[in-house]
Amino acid sequence: MNELVYKYIRDNRNNILDNWIINMREKADERLIKVVSDEMFARTSSEFIDMITTRLTDNGQEFLNRLTDFAEKVVRLGWPLTFVNEGLREFSRITFEGMMDTGLVNQDNQMDIIYDFDSFMTPMNNEIVNMYSQTWEKTVSLQKIALQELSAPLIPVLDRITVMPLVGTIDTERAKQIMENLLQGVVKHRSEVVLIDITGVPVVDTMVAHHIIQAAEAVRLVGAHCMLCGIRPEIAQTIVNLGINLNEITTKNSLQKGIEAALEITSRKIVEMEEMEE
Amino acid sequence: MRIPILKLYDCLLVSIQWELDDATALQFQEDLLHKIHETSANGVVIDITSIDFIDSFIAKVLGDVVSMSKLMGAKVVITGIQPAVAITLIELGIVLDDVLTALDLEKGLEKLQQELGD
Repeated sequence: MNELVYKYIRDNRNNILDNWIINMREKADERLIKVVSDEMFARTSSEFIDMITTRLTDNGQEFLNRLTDFAEKVVRLGWPLTFVNEGLREFSRITFEGMMDTGLVNQDNQMDIIYDFDSFMTPMNNEIVNMYSQTWEKTVSLQKIALQELSAPLIPVLDRITVMPLVGTIDTERAKQIMENLLQGVVKHRSEVVLIDITGVPVVDTMVAHHIIQAAEAVRLVGAHCMLCGIRPEIAQTIVNLGINLNEITTKNSLQKGIEAALEITSRKIVEMEEMEE
Repeated sequence: MRIPILKLYDCLLVSIQWELDDATALQFQEDLLHKIHETSANGVVIDITSIDFIDSFIAKVLGDVVSMSKLMGAKVVITGIQPAVAITLIELGIVLDDVLTALDLEKGLEKLQQELGD
């Protein structure tokens, strides 16, 4: 790194920081300003500039560590990547303009300085983007796992009666998992009736209906009844409008009705205590 | 190797213990129909608990056996279809529409008695 630039940045650190904060505040959109308090903004900005200056003195592990920490923090705070990137560009612009004003850059050395500057900034830029995408990927994969865990629970509620409550959108991958869990659960719990509750499924289109019908058929093959509960009015409307034939499957409007029907199938019923004493 | 078909009161009991090949399946179809004719059984229980894989041909033969037995006046219950087998059948588009199914042999027999009693 060019000694000249390094010296300039070190000497004018506070000046650059102030300018940077002012410029960035104009550039940041309202959303960002709202979530971050002034103090937090100043502190994070200072940290950012600190991080960049670390890169000047030491070009190795120390910088990488700080960058990782910073990227994680910034992602958590919800700062967009474009903003951080812009910040980096702004930093180099301010530094460069400052150096021009003070006459440190002149006709003779400008090419050298620009070249030096560029070879200093570009790897940093890359590293930040890299770190950002890594952090995001990590978050996404964690969420994917969490979603998978939530995707198809099977609950034995009564002897021989099992419920599978479904919440959220169903895609092909999830439908497959639902089918597997459903069948394995039926065999494991030795259920006679399985209730699929779709109260929490926002949309039932032909694909979802197809998967549900398949699951119901498969349940019948392993020797149990399959019932569909929690059909909301709008779902009923879509099903009929799409011309989906659910005639083969027993449908009920609530889980409660479903359980009553399931008890009936297994020739049992719930009676109140007084009635029994009579 | 032929699949043994056992008579239990007025029912026939078949337990398929190994993966079927095409010839065995066809042989089984023939044997079962003859046995139904011989014993004039009212019901048949086919237990396929130990079958983990099934192909479209075997599935078709099974479906045919059921329809044929029905023609001869015997109700058929298939028991112990494994989850993986059920998924395969559905994916192959074989729904075995008019077949009664049960979780295991015990439940299958119960179901058959119920059906025959009606």
